[in-house]
Order: sequence, then C-alpha cells, then structure tokens
Amino acid sequence: MIELKNVVKTYDQKTIVVDRLNLKIEKGQIIVLIGESGCGKTTSMKMINRLIPMSDGEILFDGKSIMDYSPVELRRKIGYVIQKVGLLPHITIGENIELVPKLLNWDKKKRRLRALELLELVDLDKSYYHRYAHELSGGQQQRIGVARALATNPDVILMDEPFSALDPMTREQLQRELLKLQDELGKTIVFVTHDMDEALKIGDKIAVMKDGKILQFDTPERILKHPVNDYVENFVGKDRLWKLPEMMYAKDIMNRKVEVIGARRRGLQAFEIMKSRGIRRAIVVEKEGKQQQVPLGWIHINQLRGQKAEEKILRDLVKVEIQAVHETENLPNVLALMKETEANRLVVVDDEEKMVGVVTQSSVLDVLADLVSEYEEEGDED
Amino acid sequence: MELIRFMVAHAEDIFGALIQHMKITGIAVAFAILIGVPIGIWISKKQNIAGFVLGVANIMQTIPSLALFGLIIPIMGIGFKPSVFVLLLYALMPIIKNTYIGITTVDAAVIEAGRGMGMTRMQILKMIEVPLSLPMIMGGIRISTVINIGTATIAALIGAGGLGDFIFRGISMADNMMILTGAIPTALLALVMDALLNFVEVKLTPKGLKGEE
Repeated sequence: MIELKNVVKTYDQKTIVVDRLNLKIEKGQIIVLIGESGCGKTTSMKMINRLIPMSDGEILFDGKSIMDYSPVELRRKIGYVIQKVGLLPHITIGENIELVPKLLNWDKKKRRLRALELLELVDLDKSYYHRYAHELSGGQQQRIGVARALATNPDVILMDEPFSALDPMTREQLQRELLKLQDELGKTIVFVTHDMDEALKIGDKIAVMKDGKILQFDTPERILKHPVNDYVENFVGKDRLWKLPEMMYAKDIMNRKVEVIGARRRGLQAFEIMKSRGIRRAIVVEKEGKQQQVPLGWIHINQLRGQKAEEKILRDLVKVEIQAVHETENLPNVLALMKETEANRLVVVDDEEKMVGVVTQSSVLDVLADLVSEYEEEGDED
Repeated sequence: MELIRFMVAHAEDIFGALIQHMKITGIAVAFAILIGVPIGIWISKKQNIAGFVLGVANIMQTIPSLALFGLIIPIMGIGFKPSVFVLLLYALMPIIKNTYIGITTVDAAVIEAGRGMGMTRMQILKMIEVPLSLPMIMGGIRISTVINIGTATIAALIGAGGLGDFIFRGISMADNMMILTGAIPTALLALVMDALLNFVEVKLTPKGLKGEE
C-alpha cells in the first residue's frame, strides 16, 4: 500500500531528521511509529501525505510515487487525524465532516447522508450534526476528527498522536473503538505515538524509531519478547510483560525439559531409572528418550512400589489423566485451567498434540519472580 | 439652553455638515478596507516583510495629522480628494494590523487539519483564515472609523467641509457655542458608529466562536 524507500529528511543540509528510512506498509494493517520526541516519527508520517517534503528517497503510494500526485490530490486520498483535532470552530460538526466531500463537489444530500452515517459509526448521536466544536468534549471532538478523516472513505489514514491529549479512560475507549472500526473497515493506518501501551494495544506492527532510523519493525509480541537491542528493550520497558499477561503464552512459561520414560518399561526398571535420575515424577511416552510425542500420562515413583507394580509395564500403570494446553494459550488462561482442574502441572502441546513442555506451579512462579525482580531493579535505578 | 437654541437654529447647516463628515470618513475607511485587508493578508503570509510594512504603517500613524494635511496641499491641493487621501492613510494602520494579527493567530491545528485534508491555499484562506479572523478585522475597521471621525474635523482646514467647519469657525471667532456645535455632533457620531460597528462585529462573529469564552 505504502512503501518508503531510503527516505531522507534533512534541514539546512546538516540536521538529519529521518535517515534513509525503509518501511513497507501492508494494506489493512495498523502500523505504529513509536519513539521519543525528535526521533523523526511524525516527520516520517507527514512525508507520506507531503505535508513535509522529503529531501531524498522515494515513497510509493499504491505503487505510484507520491511525487506523481499533486499534494492536494494526494491528501484527499489519505485521511488525516491530528492530536489537536483542528475542527473548524465556526462551522457545525456536520459541516466539518462534510468539508472534503464538499470540496469534491458531492451533492448536498449525499454529503449529509454520509455525515450522519459517520456520526453513527463513531458512536455519536445525530443531534451532534448541528452542534459546534466547542460544545464537545475532547473525546467527542476526536471522534469527529476520525469521522472527518473517513468522510470520503480513503484507504489510508494517518494519525498523529490522536489520543495523546485525552484522559486515560477516554483514550482507552477510543483505542478500543479504533480497533473496532478497523475490523469493520479494514483501513491501512499509520499511527504515531510515544505511548508504548498504546502501540502494543493497537499496532499490527510496530516500528521503534530513534535518530531518524527504525531500530525494529515487528509485531508487538516480537518487540516485547525479542527486542533487537538494549534501547528497544528499555523503551518497551522490562516490566511490560508483567503488565500484559495476555502476551505471555504457555510456551514462554513452560519447562522445556521434561522427564519422559518409555511406556514399555516395567515398573521395577522405571523405579530404578527415576531413582538414578533423582526424580519422583515423569511422563510416560510411547518411545523412549524422545520428548516430542503424544504423552500418555504421569507416573509417580510411589506408584511403582510393591510387587504388583514392579511386574507391570508402565502403559498399564498410568492412571493420572493428562491436562494439556496448547502452547499459544496465554498466561491468564493457563492459570485459570490450573485452578479449574486443580492440576498442579499441565502438559504443553503443539498443533499436533505433541508435548513440547510442562507448566508447573513452580515454573509459573519462576517466571513471575523473574519479572518482579526485573521490575524492582528498574525501580531501584530511579 | 442657549446652545440648544443655537443648534436648532442651525439645524440645517449642522445636518449638511454631518452628512459631509460621514461621506469623507466613510469613503476613506472604505478605501482603507479595500487596500488594508489584502495587505494584511499578504503580509501574514510573508513574515519577512510583515515587520517592514507594519513599521511603515506605524510611522504614518505618528505623523501629526495637522502636519500631514499641510504637507498634502502642495501635492494634491485642497478640498475633498486630499482630505480623503490623508484620512485613508490614518485608517490603514489599524486595519492592516488587525488583519495581520487575525490571520496569524488562527489556530495552527485548524490550518494543519485543513492542509492535511487537501484544501488548497486559497480554500484555507477563504474557508478558514478569513472567517476566523473576521471579528478581529472588524475590530480594526471600527478603530479606524472612530479615529477618522475625530481626525476628519481637521480636514476642514484644507476645505473638506464637515463638522470641523463649525469648530474652526468657532475658534477664529472665539465663539464657544460654535465650537460645541461642531464638537458635540462629532463626538455623538463617533459613539454611534462605535456602537453600530461593534454590533456588526458581534453579528459577524461565527456562532461557533461565540460561546468559547
């Protein structure tokens, strides 16, 4: 949809604001540009609709260089939402929404229908059509800002810190609604923010920027779990996972190494093996020595005592049923399942139901303890 | 009492002078609007010359009006035209300045939104900047008019007529009554115009801006 190729922005030929930036924005995605102030994120965005002329490089919009469009023509194809909203105070809300359609000479009836439709879309009553900007709260104004950007149904929308000036409650509400809108409309959105929580919440992909460069362009999950360097890691915040347990999955909290034991072993053999390995519990599997297979059940060393048990093979001894979770189940769900089934340990399986690890109460505790200690360390530095 | 009797006796003359007075100031202000508003808009877009233009206009304002009326005689002679010309120069400054301030203080976010939506510069000027600075521009016009009504009395000196005639005649005849006959209607005219233009200013303020304060 949009592609930035080696885009450079300099002022006075020396101050480099954006440095050979490459970014490919796929259709229908929300791309978040994030970084500290002065990192070039807003400049990068404004070069897309030519509000800021680029110094070098190329930007493709729908496969065509943006320089092949006139600025006015280009901007009318791209919705634009800014932090301060910028509603025209002297005309009604309805007229504000209808502004671009009016510039494009839509007839009056069509314009009005569109405005009313958009009011509904952004969850505002039709009666707002005749109100003025100053009569609206900040959140309501920004809803109109979004409605206005959608007026001519552009495929791409640029949003420059649209929710940063709002109180936290309103901000969250609008973030949720943006995602809802996105589900319905499937726009391509370039979203600039300095708020990591916001970026993680709404971005399909996040570009972390510093000194006019993109340090990492990745999914929120990968940015969280695999930051490319210390800067990104610090910027994301080490405590972030702690705040977003939904982003921690079973595979992140499981013990990868699981003690397994072949199903054909007899009780006595198994007892000796477990004793020598110093374990009290193991998972019984079809083939010895391989972890990646369908687990049959748990065996505890106490089950192996006594003459009867010593004679039998493990397959017949396994009683305790396995509680399994898929590796992509998130932490809250894992904990809920453990509580619900009163299981102390869950087997983590992949798509083929093969075992990849085990989540135990202590492995959960370990992960949390790690996070807490990192969290505290960070606190100490302040 | 005596003054009232005097004024009633000269009612016709006073009325004629009043009309003449309004004509001079009206035409001067009208031209000042036609010239001053475009200049104000123009310099708001060219910050580098704004200081120069405003400076020149400011200096004009500081030249004593009496001197300026005197200086214009060798160039334009006496009568209606030179009077209107001098008054126009005085009316320009507040109009240029207010237009300039009005346009440059329009909320930058609104302009950015307009640009981002794909409005042309002309559309931004016509649909955003001018409507939003209209109250400010009207304020400039009001100040110009009120100043001009007072200054126009001096124009009588170079034969423009108007209420100034009574004042100068009164001064030369040491007739206070005559002076007041010119001064009082001038003051009243200024007050009335002030109120009237203030009313227009309020009327021109877009509905959406009124509730803001």
